[in-house]
Amino acid sequence: MIARVLLVALALELYGSAQALNPNLIQHPAPDGWPTYNGDYSGKRFSELRQIDTANVGMLTLAWAFQTDVASGPGLKSTPLLVNGTLYFTEPDDVWAVDARSGQQTWHYHYHANEGLHIGQRGLGMSQGHLFFETPDAHLLSLDAKSGEVQWDVELADVKLGYWATMAPLVIRNHVIVGVSGDFNDLHGFIDSFDPETGKLQWRWDALPKRGELGADTWPKDGDAMEHGGGMTWITGTYDPALNLLYWGTGNPNPVLAGYTRPGDNLFTCTIVALNPDTGKLAWYFQPSPHDVHDWDAVQTPVIVDADFRGVPRKLLIQASRNGYLFVLDRANGKALLSTPYEEINWSEGVDATGRPVARAEKNPSPAGTLVEPDALGATNWMPPSFDPETGLLYVDTHRCFSLYYDLSSGRPEGFAGRDLSVWAQSFLKAIDYQTGKTRWQHDLGPGDNWAGVLSTAGGLVFTGDVHGNILALDARSGETLWHAYGGGQAQAPPITYELDGRQYVLIGCHGVLYAWALPEAMVKRSQQ
Amino acid sequence: MRPPGRRACAKAIAFVVVAACPVYLAAQDADDIRQQQANAASASAGKELFQQNCGFCHGPDGRGSSGPDLIRSALVSHDVNGNMIGLVVRNGRRQKGMPAFGFSDVQVHQIADFLHSEAEMASTVARRLPLEYPLEKLLVGNAEAGRTYFKGEGKCSKCHSPEGDLAHIATKYKPIDLQSRIAFPSGANPSVTVWDASGRKFEGEQVYADEFVVSLRDGSGWARTWNRALVKVEVQDPLAAHVALLSTYTDKNIHDLFAYLETLK
Repeated sequence: MIARVLLVALALELYGSAQALNPNLIQHPAPDGWPTYNGDYSGKRFSELRQIDTANVGMLTLAWAFQTDVASGPGLKSTPLLVNGTLYFTEPDDVWAVDARSGQQTWHYHYHANEGLHIGQRGLGMSQGHLFFETPDAHLLSLDAKSGEVQWDVELADVKLGYWATMAPLVIRNHVIVGVSGDFNDLHGFIDSFDPETGKLQWRWDALPKRGELGADTWPKDGDAMEHGGGMTWITGTYDPALNLLYWGTGNPNPVLAGYTRPGDNLFTCTIVALNPDTGKLAWYFQPSPHDVHDWDAVQTPVIVDADFRGVPRKLLIQASRNGYLFVLDRANGKALLSTPYEEINWSEGVDATGRPVARAEKNPSPAGTLVEPDALGATNWMPPSFDPETGLLYVDTHRCFSLYYDLSSGRPEGFAGRDLSVWAQSFLKAIDYQTGKTRWQHDLGPGDNWAGVLSTAGGLVFTGDVHGNILALDARSGETLWHAYGGGQAQAPPITYELDGRQYVLIGCHGVLYAWALPEAMVKRSQQ
Repeated sequence: MRPPGRRACAKAIAFVVVAACPVYLAAQDADDIRQQQANAASASAGKELFQQNCGFCHGPDGRGSSGPDLIRSALVSHDVNGNMIGLVVRNGRRQKGMPAFGFSDVQVHQIADFLHSEAEMASTVARRLPLEYPLEKLLVGNAEAGRTYFKGEGKCSKCHSPEGDLAHIATKYKPIDLQSRIAFPSGANPSVTVWDASGRKFEGEQVYADEFVVSLRDGSGWARTWNRALVKVEVQDPLAAHVALLSTYTDKNIHDLFAYLETLK
């Protein structure tokens, strides 16, 4: 009872008297909220809710479905935000506000036609009454959460140069923190912080150093390779309020497959960085793929976990990286505690003294073709993983896959300068023990590449989807399927959960349909009595 | 981040629509094709003009020499039909040592078309495998070593023969397709056997299978589907040996096998 009163008090404080979101309370989301891309700052995508559990999940039924009705495009790839009973989610040119109890639309915002790459849109950030939305042509908009009206609009980068944007901004106090995409051209990545009220730039962290700066000695001394070396920042990072550090992964170097044009480690591409969110100053870095030549960015969610590591309580950061390695770092200083493959790979046979993988040069792309495991889409990709503190397992959508990598460069290579030809792939949900990197169980998700994100809950469940379009609820301890429904297309909008009016909902999007699942109303009412 | 693959699977569906539009969709109808041909001719004329007049400083491909790289240039990116390039070309940039050039409108247009086509090449074409991949680039292996591997270590001859299914194989596939089929030949569906609750047996080619249902097409041509929990199912994947090979192949094996199969004309 006391706990319930506290929760209600917290919820009142979180959402205040109006419908707004107080950013100081994002780190303790209430059960009826999902106020950031990852639900909180940690990136765990674990929910304490347990109304739906291993015993009753088989009864799960449709509560409602929302159709975006966008005729073409990539469909839903966004994680919805839930603030004060309203869901906010996106496709590349669209934002919807939808009632979380009924699935009825409150408002819809449509961005004007634009030439940015419409490859996906992963969600929004929110502070007070403002929503923050990155457009395909790399603008950042502030929308009025009441109406969807544009409050301000700033250009993050020049779409004509080949930039685009897909990611969900991260709000930390009075900072709206964003990244950008674009590796078809030789650009430079960065992270920007904006004032949520005015849209004024507060700081920029450049993923590529300038001459004389830290990391510049990892690029050729002559020419402009460093200036055009890539390092896109296209997935939302995580945040540790106690250390006041922002964690963010960066993308691959450019030209992408023609590594010989840029000898050196190519910092800060394919790197996990820790920044001060108030200044943008670098605290530490760790590079999962030094001198990448396979398009394996290191943007995958850097998950924050406080747990024992081999008997010692630690502040950990865990990343299942696109190159097939699991990294467990001390997030105070970036030192690697564990670097080990979580999926089968053939490009590296071990790590150096600092825990960075050492690449086999013979697995570089070549004009005659090189067989590389994994392929360019990687052992995992942008789909968010989930960490369950109760099982101590990291659940990751993995791909076992092979490609023939071709170096197509001639003259002065620019852009991709090559191509991989995927020959075979199989998808799995892996439950990985972060103490060892070993797979505790794996669930076959079918042939080809799967794109569903993962959610784990205190009900002992893991929610995800398979390549065929089945939405799955698995036993978190064994991987056994406990419930499924065919969603009519691959789930690419990661699952979330929340509780409203005493009923727990699980949301997951397939193509242009967002589904809300719950226990039958009659059953929930009975359990409340 | 990556552009579309050629594998016909979910990856292609997910990416191809959006990632490929500038080039693939351009060829949808005859008007577009005529326009493309006109642009190509104009770009070709522009290339000649550029190399004669601009290449000394900007490099013959526009990617920079003593003068800046124009393919990565913001001004070129924002130019439409020479409207910005023309101003710079005709006025020069004296303080940076660039003289003015007295080109006609048509010539400015041609130079702009050349620079835009090079920029498109860098950002889109250079990440696509050419349909006609040069055979000589792929022919780095030893055909005799490939034949030895085929008959020995690779155990290829357990299922294939150079006189049987692989006769004239090099004439059936383009070189790059032949090589990728050595790595993994897509397209062969598993065969499925189902025994229903009454013990009746059904056999056919797999239409669909996930962890919940299985569907096959039998000799009658009709597809039939079962709930897997209610029947016994056996799936024979004819490509299982190829999946296993992926973990043991060296690049030399693949290049040698390719050199060998290329001799089967």
